[in-house]
Amino acid sequence: MNALVPLPVILPLLGAGLTLMASREPRLQRAVSTTVLAVVVVIAAILLHQTDAHGPQVIWIGAWKEPLGISLVADRLAALMLLVSAVVTLAVLVYSIGQGMTGDERETPVTIYHPTFLVLSAGVSNAFLAGDLFNLFVSFEILLFASYVLLTLGGTGARIRAGTIYVVVNVLSSTLFLVSIAAVYAATGSLNLAQLAGRLDDLPPSVSLVLQLLLLVTFSIKAAVFPLSFWLPDSYPTAPAPVTAVFAGLLTKVGVYTIIRTQTLLFPSSPLTDVLLWAALLTLVIGILGAVAQSEMKRMLSFTLVSHIGYMVFGVALATTAGYSGAIFYVVHHITIQTALFLVLGLVERRAGSTSLIKLGGLARIAPLLGLLFFVPAMNLAGIPPMSGFLGKVALTDAGLRIGTPLAYAVVAAGMLTSLLTLYAVAKAWNLAFWRTPEQAHETAQHLSDAGRRGRFGQVVQHRDHVHVGAHTYGARDLDEARSILDEDDVSHQDLHQLMEEGSVPSRLPRTMVGATAALVVLSLGLTAVAGPVFGYTGRAAHDLLDRGLYVSSVLSGGSR
Amino acid sequence: MIVLVLAHAVAAVAAPAVVGRLGRRAFLLLAAIPATSFGWALTSAGPVSRGVVRTEVVSWVPALRLDLAFAMGSLQWVMMLVVTGVGAGVLAYCAWYFPDDEPGLGGFGGSFVAFAGAMLGLVLADDLLVLYVFWELTTVFSYLLIGHDPTRGASRAAAIQALVVTTFGGLAMLVGVLVIGLRAGTFRVSEVLADPPTGPAITVAVVLLLLGAVSKSALVPFHFWLPGAMAAPTPVSAYLHAAAMVKAGVYLVALLAPAFAAVPGWRALLLSMGLVTMLLGGWRSLRQLDIKLLLAYGTVSQLGFLLVVLSLGTRAAALAGLAMLVAHALFKATLFLVVGIVDRQAGTRDLRRLSGVGRSAPALAVTAVLAGASMAGLPPLIGFVTKESVYGALIGVARHGDGTGLGRLAGWTVLIGVVLGSGLTVAYTARFLWGTFGSKPPLQASYVAPIPVGFLATPALFAVTGLALGFLSGPQNAMLLPYAGQLPAGGHHPGLALWHEPGLALVLSMLSLGLGLLLFRRRERFAALQAVVAPPWSAERGYLKTMQRLDRLAVEVTGLTQRGSVAIYLSVVLAVVVLLPGGALLAAADRPSGLVRWDSAAQPVVAVVIVVAAVLTARSRRRLKAVVMVGVTGYGTATLFLLHGAPDLALTQVLVETVSLVVFVLVLRRLPAYFTDRPLTRGRYWRIAIGALVAAAVAGFMVISTGARTATPVSVGFPGEAMAFGGGRNVVNVTLVDIRAWDTMGEIAVLVAAATGVASLLFIASRTTAIRRVQDIPVEASATSSATGPVRPVWLPGGGTLAPERRSIIFEVITRLVFHTIVVFSMYLLFSGHNNPGGGFAAGLVTGLALMVRYLAGGRYELDEAAPVDAGALMGMGLFVATGSGLAPLAFGGAVLQSALVDLHLPLLGDVHLVTSVFFDVGVYLVVVGLLLDLLRSLGSGIDRHILREQPAHAQDSEVTT
Amino acid sequence: MSASLSLILAAAGMIGCGVYLLLERSLTRVLVGLVMLGNGVNLLFLVSGGPAGRAPIVGGDGSPMSDPLPQALVLTAIVISLGTTAFVLAMAYRSWQLTDHDDVQDDVEDAAIRRLAAADEASDSFDLSREDTADDELEAPQDEGRPA
Repeated sequence: MNALVPLPVILPLLGAGLTLMASREPRLQRAVSTTVLAVVVVIAAILLHQTDAHGPQVIWIGAWKEPLGISLVADRLAALMLLVSAVVTLAVLVYSIGQGMTGDERETPVTIYHPTFLVLSAGVSNAFLAGDLFNLFVSFEILLFASYVLLTLGGTGARIRAGTIYVVVNVLSSTLFLVSIAAVYAATGSLNLAQLAGRLDDLPPSVSLVLQLLLLVTFSIKAAVFPLSFWLPDSYPTAPAPVTAVFAGLLTKVGVYTIIRTQTLLFPSSPLTDVLLWAALLTLVIGILGAVAQSEMKRMLSFTLVSHIGYMVFGVALATTAGYSGAIFYVVHHITIQTALFLVLGLVERRAGSTSLIKLGGLARIAPLLGLLFFVPAMNLAGIPPMSGFLGKVALTDAGLRIGTPLAYAVVAAGMLTSLLTLYAVAKAWNLAFWRTPEQAHETAQHLSDAGRRGRFGQVVQHRDHVHVGAHTYGARDLDEARSILDEDDVSHQDLHQLMEEGSVPSRLPRTMVGATAALVVLSLGLTAVAGPVFGYTGRAAHDLLDRGLYVSSVLSGGSR
Repeated sequence: MIVLVLAHAVAAVAAPAVVGRLGRRAFLLLAAIPATSFGWALTSAGPVSRGVVRTEVVSWVPALRLDLAFAMGSLQWVMMLVVTGVGAGVLAYCAWYFPDDEPGLGGFGGSFVAFAGAMLGLVLADDLLVLYVFWELTTVFSYLLIGHDPTRGASRAAAIQALVVTTFGGLAMLVGVLVIGLRAGTFRVSEVLADPPTGPAITVAVVLLLLGAVSKSALVPFHFWLPGAMAAPTPVSAYLHAAAMVKAGVYLVALLAPAFAAVPGWRALLLSMGLVTMLLGGWRSLRQLDIKLLLAYGTVSQLGFLLVVLSLGTRAAALAGLAMLVAHALFKATLFLVVGIVDRQAGTRDLRRLSGVGRSAPALAVTAVLAGASMAGLPPLIGFVTKESVYGALIGVARHGDGTGLGRLAGWTVLIGVVLGSGLTVAYTARFLWGTFGSKPPLQASYVAPIPVGFLATPALFAVTGLALGFLSGPQNAMLLPYAGQLPAGGHHPGLALWHEPGLALVLSMLSLGLGLLLFRRRERFAALQAVVAPPWSAERGYLKTMQRLDRLAVEVTGLTQRGSVAIYLSVVLAVVVLLPGGALLAAADRPSGLVRWDSAAQPVVAVVIVVAAVLTARSRRRLKAVVMVGVTGYGTATLFLLHGAPDLALTQVLVETVSLVVFVLVLRRLPAYFTDRPLTRGRYWRIAIGALVAAAVAGFMVISTGARTATPVSVGFPGEAMAFGGGRNVVNVTLVDIRAWDTMGEIAVLVAAATGVASLLFIASRTTAIRRVQDIPVEASATSSATGPVRPVWLPGGGTLAPERRSIIFEVITRLVFHTIVVFSMYLLFSGHNNPGGGFAAGLVTGLALMVRYLAGGRYELDEAAPVDAGALMGMGLFVATGSGLAPLAFGGAVLQSALVDLHLPLLGDVHLVTSVFFDVGVYLVVVGLLLDLLRSLGSGIDRHILREQPAHAQDSEVTT
Repeated sequence: MSASLSLILAAAGMIGCGVYLLLERSLTRVLVGLVMLGNGVNLLFLVSGGPAGRAPIVGGDGSPMSDPLPQALVLTAIVISLGTTAFVLAMAYRSWQLTDHDDVQDDVEDAAIRRLAAADEASDSFDLSREDTADDELEAPQDEGRPA
C-alpha cells in the first residue's frame, strides 16, 4: 500500500498541470481540482488506517537504494495531519468555487486560483510526508510560492502591502533554512531525517545544539512563535476570505508540525523545555492582548491564531507523551476551527460588506444562521466545554500540571488567561457585530469620529440591504474622500463599492459557501463526539514520536530495491 | 438521568421551530420536559431517603479519564427537584409573560431550555470535569439569556460582564479540578468524597475551586454581575436567582463540604465572604427604587447566608442549609414572578410610581405576602422553620465549636452577623411589600390590568408550597439526612421542626424580626444615614476600571510589538538568529576546525572580487548599478563553482544570472533611475551592525559544522549508482532528474506558481493575454511598417511593428541567424545532459534566452511570432509531462519516478540508449521555457502595453495601437 | 573535513551586504539583497560538500570528485531564487504602479493602533462595547413591560 504515499503530492501537481492547460474552460478546471482533492482525502484516510494498523508507510522515490534517494514517510502524526489538511483544503475549495460562481471572479479568478490552490495543497502534503531535510525545504517553497500568489490576488494596494511583508519575511526564513541545511550536511554528510537521527547523535553536543537552534528558529518563523510572529497579523487578513482561511488553518500548523518532527526525531536528547516554555508563555499572552486591541474581526482572529500557537508550543515544550498528544489534538482542533471562523467572516463580509466592528451591527437579527455559524466556533475557540477547544486545553493543562515546575505553572496560568481573553474578544465582537443595532453602530461611529478619536471609522451597515459610506471616515470631509481612504486601506470595501454601484449588498448567501462553512463547523463539533478515539490516536502518535526507533527502523530497513 | 438531560438538549434544538409555529403557547409544551424530570425525581424519593445512590456512567475520553458519570444521592435529588420544578413553573409562566410579537422569542426558548438542561446536568454530574462542562454551559446560556434584548446597551454590557466574571472564576475552578484529579487519581466526585486527597497542593486547588463557586454565586467582591443581570427578562431573573446559576456555587460548596470543609482556608474564606455579602446585600437592597433590583440584592444577601451555613461543615448546619436552599428557591421565585406580573400589568417597577396595587390585585398581594413572610422568617412558613434550625446549628457552633474547630469569637461573630443580616432581610422584605403593594398618598393608585389566572398560577403554587412545607418538616428530615449524614455528627442534633422548645434560637428570630421592622419604620432616617456612609467605590466600578486598564495594556503592548514595518520584523528575526544559534556558537568555539586558506590560488582572487562587488552594490544609489553589481557577484559565484569542480552549477548560474539581469532591466526601465534619497540615519549603522553580526554568525556555523564532520557523505554511493541504476555519467544531472527527482518535481511546481504569480500581478485577474501575431495587426499598421522603407528586406516579421528609431537591422540580422542555432544547441543540452553538463534546466534557459533575443530585437509581436503558444499552457504541459512520467512506472509495478533503461534499435540512428527519465527532463524543459516565455510576455510585452497606454495619442502614430 | 576559508569569507561578505540591503526600504534594494543572500548561501553548500575536486562526471582520471549532492541542491536553489526574483520584481512593479514608488509601506491597521497607544486611548472596539453600563446605585429602573 505504500505506493499511495506519494499520491497526495503528485496528484494535485498533475491536476495543476491540467488546470493550466485547460485555462479556457473554467468548468473543467473546477471539476479537475475538486476531483483531485476529493481523491486525496480518500487516500489520506486509507493511509491513516494503514499507518495505525501496520506502522509507518515508507517509500523511496524512484526505488533508489537507501539512503541515496528521497524517502517519503507517513507515520501516525503525518497521516493525521495529511487527512485533516486534505479535508479542510477540500472544504475551502468548495467554498471558493461557490464564491466564484456568484460572479465574484475578481476574488478567485479560476485561471490563477485553481492551479495555484492545487500547488498549495501539494506543498502542504509534501511537508507532512517529507523524510528528507532538503525535500522539506522544497515543499516549503512549493506552498510558499503558491501562498505568495494567492495572497496578492487582484494586486490591490492593501494586498501588495501585506504581500510584501509576507514574501520578504518568508524568503528570509527560506534562506535561513538553506543555511541550516548546509550546516547540517556539512556536519553529517546526510539529509535523510532517519539517517540524521543517528548521525546527529554522534556529533559533539555543542555542535548539534547550534544546528538544533538554527532549525528551531527557521520553523518558529513559519509557526509564528513570539517574537517571530509579528509578520502574521499584518499579512493574512487582507487576502480573499478563502485564502486567509486556508492560510490560517494550515500554514502555521505546518511550522508546528516540523518543530514537533525535528524536536522528536532529530534532537530528542535536548528538549529545550525552558526556552520553549518561555516562547509559549509570551506567544499566548502577547498574542491575545493583540486580539483584544483589534477593532477588525479578521485581524482579531489572526491575533488569536498567533496566540493559540502558544498552546501547541506549550505541549511540545513539555516533551512528554501527554504533552505531545495534547499538542497534536490541539493542532487538529485549531486547523478546523480557525478555517471555519475565517470562512464565516468571509460570509459576514459578503453579507454586510465589512468585517469591521466599528461598522457592523444587527447581524443576529438580519442573518440568524450566520449568527449560529459564528457563535458556535467562536465559543469553541474560546475553549467553552464540551467542545474540542476545551478538551485540547484540558489535555495540555493536565500535561503541564504533571510537569509541575514553576514555569510550567506560569504557562498554565497564561493559558487560562488567554482562554478568558479569547472569550472576551469574541463576545465583544458578538456584542457589536451581531447584537448591537446598526443605528447604534452608526451613532457610535459618528460620535467617536466627532470626538476626534484616532482610530478607524467608516461606513455603517444601516438597514438590511443598503450600505452607506459614513462621511465621518477619519473625519474625511466628504463622501469621496472617505471612499478613497477606505479604498486605499481596506479591500473589503472594494467589493462593497461594486455592490453599491449595483445598489445593494447581496441579501442572500450562496448555498455552496454556507454549506462548506457549516460542514467545517459540524466537523469541529464531531471532533468532540469522537474525542475518545481521537485522543487514543493522538496518544499513540505521541508515543511513536517519543520512541523514534520505530520511525528510523521502518525507513532504514535495509535494501529497498 | 442522561436521558433527561438529552431530552432537554433535544427540546432546546427544537424550540425555535416550535415557538415559531405555536407562538408563546409553545412554552407550555417546553415546560413539559422539566416537569417530566420533576415527576421522575419524585418517584425515586423512596430509595433516596434510604440513602441509595443511583448512578449512570458512559465512557467519553479515557485518555483524559473523562467519563460522563452521573449520580443521584440525597443532595442531588433535592437540587434536581428545585432545578426542574422551578424551571417547569417559570417556563409555563413565560407563556403569559411574553407577547407573541416579542422578537427573538424562539431563540430565547431554546436558550432557556438548554440552560435548564445544563443546570440539571450540573447537579447530577458525578465527575468533576463533567460538572465543569455543565458549569460553563450555564454561563454561556445565561449570557444569551441576559442579552435577550440586545438593542439595549445595558443588557449587552450586563451579559458580557456576567460572562467574563463567571468564566474567570470558572477557569480558576478548572485548574483546581485538574489538580484534584491529578492528586486523587480520579475526577469522580463519589471517589474523591470517599477518600479526599490532602496536602498543600490540594489547599491551593480547593481555594481555586471556591473562587469558581463564589464568583458564580455572586459573593463579594464578585456580586455586582448579579444585579446587572437584571437586564434579563423577569422569568430569567427568577430562574437565575431562585434555582439556577447562582445556586450552582452553593451546590458545589454543599457537595464538597464533606470532603474539604476541614481544608485550611475553606471556612475562613467562605464564612468571611459570606457574612460580608449577606450584610452588604441587605444594606444595598434597602437603597433600591426598582423592586426588581431590590430583590436582586436580596438574593445576593441570601446567597451569602446560604454559603455561611453550608460551608460550616457540621451535620446540623448542612441539613438546615439545604432546607434553607429549598425555601429560598420557593420564595425568591415567587417574588420575582410577582414582580414580572406587576411590571407587565402595571407597566412599571419603580416603587415611587407604584401605589395601591395591593387593593386592585389582592390575589397577587396575598401570594407576595406569603413568599415575603417566608423570606422574613415568619412562622409557620418554611422560611421560619429553616431559619430556626440554622440558628440552632450556629448556636451549637458558637457555644462549643461543634467539630468545626472555630473559636468562640469566630463562632459568635458569625452568629451575630447572621442575626443582623436577617434583620436587614426583614427590613427589605417589608420595603418590598410596602413598595409594591402599599398605597402611598398623595400618589394616586396605579392602574393594574386584570391578571390572567395562568399568569398568577405559578407564583401562587410556589407560595403555597412554601406554606405547606412549613408543616412537613418530618419528611424533609428524612430526605435530607442521607446528605447531612456524610458530615461528622456534632453535639447539636440536626433536624427541622416547626416548633422547637423556646430557647436562644427563638429569641434570635424575634430579635432579627424586631430589628428589621424598626429599620423599616425609620426608613427615611436610615436612608439618610446610608447616603452619608455610601462608599465612593463599588465593585462594579472596579471591574470596569480593570477591563479598561486591560484594554489600555493591550493597546500599548500591541502598539509596541506590531510596528508594521517589515525592516523591523526582519531585524527581530535576524537578532534572534544571532542570539540563539549564534550564541550557541560560543560554547562550540573551542572546537578544532579543518580550515584551509583556499582550494586553489584563483579562489581568493575571485572571492575578493565578489566581496568588492557586494560592497559596491550595497553602496550604489542607482538601481541599474546595484543590479549590475549584484550580477557581478553572481558571475563571480559561477566562477567559484567552476573552480570547485561544478560545471553544471557554473553553467546554470551564468544562464540564470543573465536571465535575471534581463528581467531586472525589463522592469527597471519603468522605475526611477535613483533610489529615493534618505539621510544617513543611525538606522544605517544598525543595519551595518546586523549585517556584520549575521555574516559572522553564518561563517561560524559553517566553520563549526565542517569541523565536526566525521561521517562519510551519502553521496559517495552516487557515481556508481548513477551509472548502474541511473544510466548516466553526469552524476549531478542523474541526481537531479532521478536520484532526487522528487525535489526537481517540486521545484518546477515552484516555477509554475511563480510564473502564475507574475502573470496575475501584471494582468490582474487573468492568467494569460491574447497572442497577437503580425497578421493580426490592423491594415494601417502594415502601412506604417512599410513606411519604414520597403528597400530594406524584413529580417524579422515582427520587426516591422517597431518604431523605426527603435529598430536595429544589425540586431535583427544577427537574431535571424543565431536564433535557430541557439535552439538546436538547447536541444543538444537537453538530451546530452544525462552524460555531460546540461539537462532540462540549462536547455530550457537557453531556449528562453533565444526567445529573449527575438523579443529584444523584434518587439512583442516578434515574440508571439517566435512562440505562438500560451505560456501558461506550456508550463501546464511541462508539469503534466513530468508528473505523468513520474506516475507511469506505477503502471508497470515500479515505484513513483522510477526510471528504466531502454535500448532501442532504430533504422537510421542505430542503437539508441534511452533512459526513461529523459521524459521527466523534457517536462522540466517545457516548464522552464514556459517560465521565460511568461516573464517576457508579462514583464516585457505587458509592460510595453502599459507604457503604450500612458503615452499621449500623437506619440502612438508610429507605434501599432493595441 | 577541510573547508576553504576564502569560500566562507566570500559567502559571508555577500550575506552581510545582502542583509544590509534587506533592511532597506526600497523593494528593489530588498530584492537585490535577497539575490545576493542567495548567492552567498549557494557558496555555503560548496563548503558543506568539502574540498574541491574534478567535475562529478563518471570516467576520466581517478582524481577525487567534488561532492555531487550539494551541487544538485544548489541547482534547485538557484532556480528557485530565479522564481523569487521574478515574483518580487513583479510586486515591485505593481507597487510602483499603485503608489509611484517601490518603497515597502508600513501596515495601516498597526499604525492606527499605535496612534491610539500614543494618545493613551482605549481600543475602538472597547469604547463601543460598553455604552451606558447599568450603574447599580439608585438608578431609575428601565421598565420593560407595557400596560396590557
